[in-house]
Amino acid sequence: MRSFRPIPYAVTALVLAGSLTGVAGCASDSGSTGSSVSSATGTVKRLEVTITGTTVTPAPAQVELPVGSTLELVVTSDHDDELHAHGFDQEATLKAGVPTTLRLTAKEPGRYEVETHEPALTLLTVAVR
Amino acid sequence: MTGRESLAGWSAALPAHGVGSRGDLPLPFAALVVAAGAALLISFVAIGFLWREPRLRESDGLLLPGWLARVLDSRWLRLAAQVLAVVLTLWTLFALVFGPDSALNPVPHVVYVWFWVGLAFASMLLGPVWRVINPVRMLHAGVLRLARVSPDLAVLPYRWGLWPAALGLGTFTWVELVAEENTSLGFLRLLIASFFALSLLGAAVFGRTWFDYADPFEAWSRLLGLLAPLGRRDDGRWVLRTPLHGVNTLRGQRGLVATVAVMLGGTAYDGFSANLGWATFVQSSPLPSSLLRTVTLIGFFGLVALTLWLASAVSVRLAGEPLRQSVSFVSDMAPSLIPIAGGYVIAHYWSLWVYQGQVTWQLLSDPLGIGVDWLGTAGLVPADALIQPTLVATIQAVSIVIGHLLGVLAAHERAITVLPHRAAIIGQVPLMVVMILYTVGGLTILFTP
Repeated sequence: MRSFRPIPYAVTALVLAGSLTGVAGCASDSGSTGSSVSSATGTVKRLEVTITGTTVTPAPAQVELPVGSTLELVVTSDHDDELHAHGFDQEATLKAGVPTTLRLTAKEPGRYEVETHEPALTLLTVAVR
Repeated sequence: MTGRESLAGWSAALPAHGVGSRGDLPLPFAALVVAAGAALLISFVAIGFLWREPRLRESDGLLLPGWLARVLDSRWLRLAAQVLAVVLTLWTLFALVFGPDSALNPVPHVVYVWFWVGLAFASMLLGPVWRVINPVRMLHAGVLRLARVSPDLAVLPYRWGLWPAALGLGTFTWVELVAEENTSLGFLRLLIASFFALSLLGAAVFGRTWFDYADPFEAWSRLLGLLAPLGRRDDGRWVLRTPLHGVNTLRGQRGLVATVAVMLGGTAYDGFSANLGWATFVQSSPLPSSLLRTVTLIGFFGLVALTLWLASAVSVRLAGEPLRQSVSFVSDMAPSLIPIAGGYVIAHYWSLWVYQGQVTWQLLSDPLGIGVDWLGTAGLVPADALIQPTLVATIQAVSIVIGHLLGVLAAHERAITVLPHRAAIIGQVPLMVVMILYTVGGLTILFTP
């Protein structure tokens, strides 16, 4: 039987420990900035999105939404469609040319897609933190 | 990558799954910088300071106490696991045949969360578990036993190595990430029925060797299972060992490079395809979106295989050997990408696994979607303690960095084993460059919205 060789294990452990503490430190930094943002709890953001064929205006982007605040999303499409906000479990029927409003209140941190189904278009993502 | 457009949108974050509507927040910039820096540092330290003679022996490892080894080897433990697997399979087939074609049906969650992702996590923890509880393997063995013929019955010799597994894994990745309607009941019925039929046909012709090599999910479980801390040393006794020891037991074989390329490329595409720039490009392109996605997914597979082979070609030239050696060298080095693939799997699927894995319990309790609660888990509220953004970001960055570290160490061990002594150090540099690209690429995919 071979003897135990400590050097590779020691190197592994050392580098691991270093990277772990480094990354954990950084991640918790960002966590603390996240909580300072959440002082904006209860605020309402408003966003208007227009769909022409397969073109989404403004171009799909990520909307930041602190936990507890609300996004008022007004969608106008040039065709009949279905609107679906994943994770908020909200759906609405879009009538051609008629603005439709969804009120999305942020609860669970994460990233959620808002999309239509006919055709399948991503309108935006909501980053809840 | 397919071209300038997708490069411009080289950004992304979450898996766009048919199951689960929640994705992970982009990785914080600081975590990206620290993790990428750690990966670079590890790589350079490795070149200069690592061991010069092969060190990993198949006889290494910390022996498990006798009673624990006896439990692991006991027929009863295996039987219990097999019974559970059969019950879950039958329960799922019941929902597949009689359940509703709606979000209430548990089958998509069982297939894409418990089976695909859960199997990866279980294998990385315990080893190649699918081999023990694969219901199709059991069905095949059962039929042969009933017919009173040898379990080794085969019509033709098997000789394609892992190629069918690579093809199968590529197809399943396409099903998971590209196919439309991949959570609809009709689609899943076709998928599962054809998988059972194909597996049984393969096993009938080639015998149970089919499961050892050609079955995509056995390969998925076996390759990721090499990373498990639990394993058997060369005399068959149970030991605790490092993931490096497991990876180092894998020898180059036919189709291994393709299988690893599919594992790594598929997970990378999963993250990439969720980025908004890519989504905008696909939905505003005049080309059919499923065609664009399919071509890009195959492009990701090809990119991994190509970069790996290029690195190997440079390595054998640096070592002063003929270029045709790169074919066997790339196969020798492919196992060292398995830790990187494992790191990607953890980073991409952690939150899906811990959150949607709990949601699966809710759905399983009511397989017919008629409002019953047969398992008492219908009212389960998924705990979110393990998907807090800070924790998830830390797990993602750490698992990718650890995957990189283990990949570099495994490649180093292989290089000094197979290359001539004086060329071993310089010979592993090209592969290390490729690993740095994968790691920084993987982190960037997680960082960009």
